[in-house]
Amino acid sequence: MSEILAIYRKEMKTYFNSPIAFIVISSFLVITNWLFFDYGDYPFFAINIADIRGIFDYGAIVLLFIAPAVSMRLISEEKHQDTLELLVTMPITDMQIIIGKYLSTLVIFAIILGGTLIAPISISFVGDLDSGIVISSYIGFFFLGATYLAMGLAASSFTRNQIIAYIVGIVIIAVFFLMNGMANGSGLLATLFENLSIRFHYQNFFRGVLDTRDILYFISLISVSLLVSSTALASRKNK
Amino acid sequence: MIDVQNVTKSYGAFEAVKDVSFTVEQGEILGFLGPNGAGKTTMMKMITCYMPPTGGTISVDGLDVVNESMAVRKKIGYLPESTPLYEEMGVRDYLNFVADVRKVNGADRTRAMDRVISVTGLSKVIHKDIHELSKGYRQRVGFAQAIIHDPEILVLDEPTTGLDPNQIIEIRNLIRELGASKTVIFSTHIMQEVQATSDRVLIIDQGKIAAQGTAEELKASIAGQMHLDMVLRGADKSKFIEVIGGIEQIHLEDIKLQKSGDLEAALKVDAGTDLREQLFDLAVSNNWKILESSPSSFTLEDVFRKLTN
Repeated sequence: MSEILAIYRKEMKTYFNSPIAFIVISSFLVITNWLFFDYGDYPFFAINIADIRGIFDYGAIVLLFIAPAVSMRLISEEKHQDTLELLVTMPITDMQIIIGKYLSTLVIFAIILGGTLIAPISISFVGDLDSGIVISSYIGFFFLGATYLAMGLAASSFTRNQIIAYIVGIVIIAVFFLMNGMANGSGLLATLFENLSIRFHYQNFFRGVLDTRDILYFISLISVSLLVSSTALASRKNK
Repeated sequence: MIDVQNVTKSYGAFEAVKDVSFTVEQGEILGFLGPNGAGKTTMMKMITCYMPPTGGTISVDGLDVVNESMAVRKKIGYLPESTPLYEEMGVRDYLNFVADVRKVNGADRTRAMDRVISVTGLSKVIHKDIHELSKGYRQRVGFAQAIIHDPEILVLDEPTTGLDPNQIIEIRNLIRELGASKTVIFSTHIMQEVQATSDRVLIIDQGKIAAQGTAEELKASIAGQMHLDMVLRGADKSKFIEVIGGIEQIHLEDIKLQKSGDLEAALKVDAGTDLREQLFDLAVSNNWKILESSPSSFTLEDVFRKLTN
């Protein structure tokens, strides 16, 4: 455990010693709040309904571009600087390295989540928000971000180039997000794709109901992504 | 201490290390000498648990590097080739991070930090960021992280590459200093380095051990002879050949008359003979004046070239 925390602390230092953390957090909040309050056919100020679902709809798309930017450096930078060689020869397992790094991105995301509270808090003063739906939506949004970040980490663990890690990360997330649109109709394939897609499970959270199937889906995606990352680190042994 | 038995490492079809066996005793400084691409780095990566050997076994203090990897890693301090460091971290932050991972905590941490900072001479740059440091200081930070947990074994991959002559001497002194209490394996492709630093040398070429022993043993086994270049005034060429031919231990390699009329001779002298007095007496009795006499021993470099070509 102390090894995981050592990695976590180092990553947090790196995020906050450079402008990375500030840039990703502020970009997300500015873009998402702008889209929510003042953009599109039904901007919040125009429709006059106390509903913050827009935050999570727009947020899912903005996060698709922001989350891989947070995680792209995690392994590829270590590979690029050759520091990975030193790290994996210390008394620490590959999985501990992956979890420590992942933990740091979750904390960055938690700060982002905290920042989005501006909308529900301010709206609750002027309208009547359904707090059950707000809470379940936030839980869904947390799982969504946690999944994006784990996928971005997996993408980062295969390359020494951060740009490649970023773009591959976006592509992987987009494929999983949009999978429900890949097969039409109601056949077996369509059902399968729908059940595998992030969007399908994400939307269930907005109904104010927490379904263990949706939560298990996200936890599985996260676990597989972390396992893939750790396997990628271990691939040095089979070269 | 370190026992390498019949180790082989293949990258696909390419065999980087071929059936290598050697041992390193406690407290010994072992130099890996070999041309680039000889398999030195691969060997070190296997000892430090970066990757397992394809065949054979490596044990450190009786612990297997594959099956007891975590225990082995605790015993080893490693400085990889080209000193990889986290550029954006501060020196102190970085050393604290390594101490964190290596579980050097509390009062031990404070003592360890003080010790490595003084041993490696980092106090002047301890508050700087790593990307601001010169190559020499970077190397010291690399050493500092390798010794922060006071390991029994140090593995240093080309620790002096890219340094200027003063820095090279400082790093060599550091290796010797650390080698007084630790087992050290370091690699280099520079001959003088192993001669200056190590107790024993392992010459590696094309994945195999070409020779091993102390620097002196290696020189003796291959060379054992000395060169002697002389310039004589007033010497007759045929007379000189006749006189020198009468001495068993001297072999004439080359002889020529300089424009000035002086005689220039290159001699090879057998091992273990000191012919300086005899040559002086011969010169006096024949009325030759010795203008120059420069002996040169075979260097480790000659040994290295002979073995690795």
